[in-house]
Amino acid sequence: MEHEHGLHLRPAADFVRLAAKYQSVVKVANLTRGGDREASARSLLEITALGINQGHTIRLRATGEDAEAAVQALADLIRSNFGAGGQ
Amino acid sequence: MTGPPTPPSPSPGGGGSVGLVLVSHSSRLAEGARELAEQVAQGTTPILAVGGAEDGSLGTNALAIASAIEALAATDGVVGVLVLMDLGSAVLSAETAMEQLSEEVRALARMVDAPFVEGTVAAAVEASLGSDLTAVAAAAEAARGQSKLG
Repeated sequence: MEHEHGLHLRPAADFVRLAAKYQSVVKVANLTRGGDREASARSLLEITALGINQGHTIRLRATGEDAEAAVQALADLIRSNFGAGGQ
Repeated sequence: MTGPPTPPSPSPGGGGSVGLVLVSHSSRLAEGARELAEQVAQGTTPILAVGGAEDGSLGTNALAIASAIEALAATDGVVGVLVLMDLGSAVLSAETAMEQLSEEVRALARMVDAPFVEGTVAAAVEASLGSDLTAVAAAAEAARGQSKLG
C-alpha cells in the first residue's frame, strides 16, 4: 500500500466499486496489523475498519469463477496508488 | 444548508440510482454526513441534508424532510429515495414527512433503521453502484452490526 493516506474513504469506495464488478467473493486482510481480521471487499465499513495505512501489506483472497481477474484488478488498483489526487 | 436545495443531476449507469436524504437534529451534522457521503458517491447519486428545526435551532422539520424527498423523487434518474435519521424524534419527523407525501412519491421512498454516519456512507457506496432501493437500504442496515474495534 503506497497511498499516502492509506485505504480511506474515497479510495476505499473506489475499491468497493471495482470489487462489485466481479462475481467472486473477495476478502481483504491487513497483514501489518496481524491479518486475522478479514473484510469483505464489498463493504466500505469493513475495509475502512482494517486501518490500512501507507506502507502496510494487505492480502486479497478471492473465491469464485473470476477470482483471479478480481484479485488482479484490485491489486492493480492498489498498486496504481488509486490514481492521482485521491485522498 | 437546510431545506430542499436543488439536487445535483445524477449520472447513473443507465438503470437510475437511489438518492439519499440525511435527517439530523443539527444542520451541521446533516451537512457533515452529506460531505462524507459525497466523498464516497462522487456525484453518482443526489444526496440532500436536512438538519435543524424551522428556526435553525436543534430539531427536525417534517416539512423540510418531505420537500427533500419530493425534490429527489422528481430528479431525473432517481429510482428510489432512502431516508436516514440520527436520533429518536428525527424518526417521528421523518414518519410525519412520509405521511405528507403523495402516494406516488411515497412508493419511491423508504426510511431505514441504521446508524447515521455508518449507514450513510454504506448507503452512499451501494447507491453509487446503481443498486436498487432494497439493496441500498440493506447496506445501511448492515452497518449496525459492524464493529469499529474488531
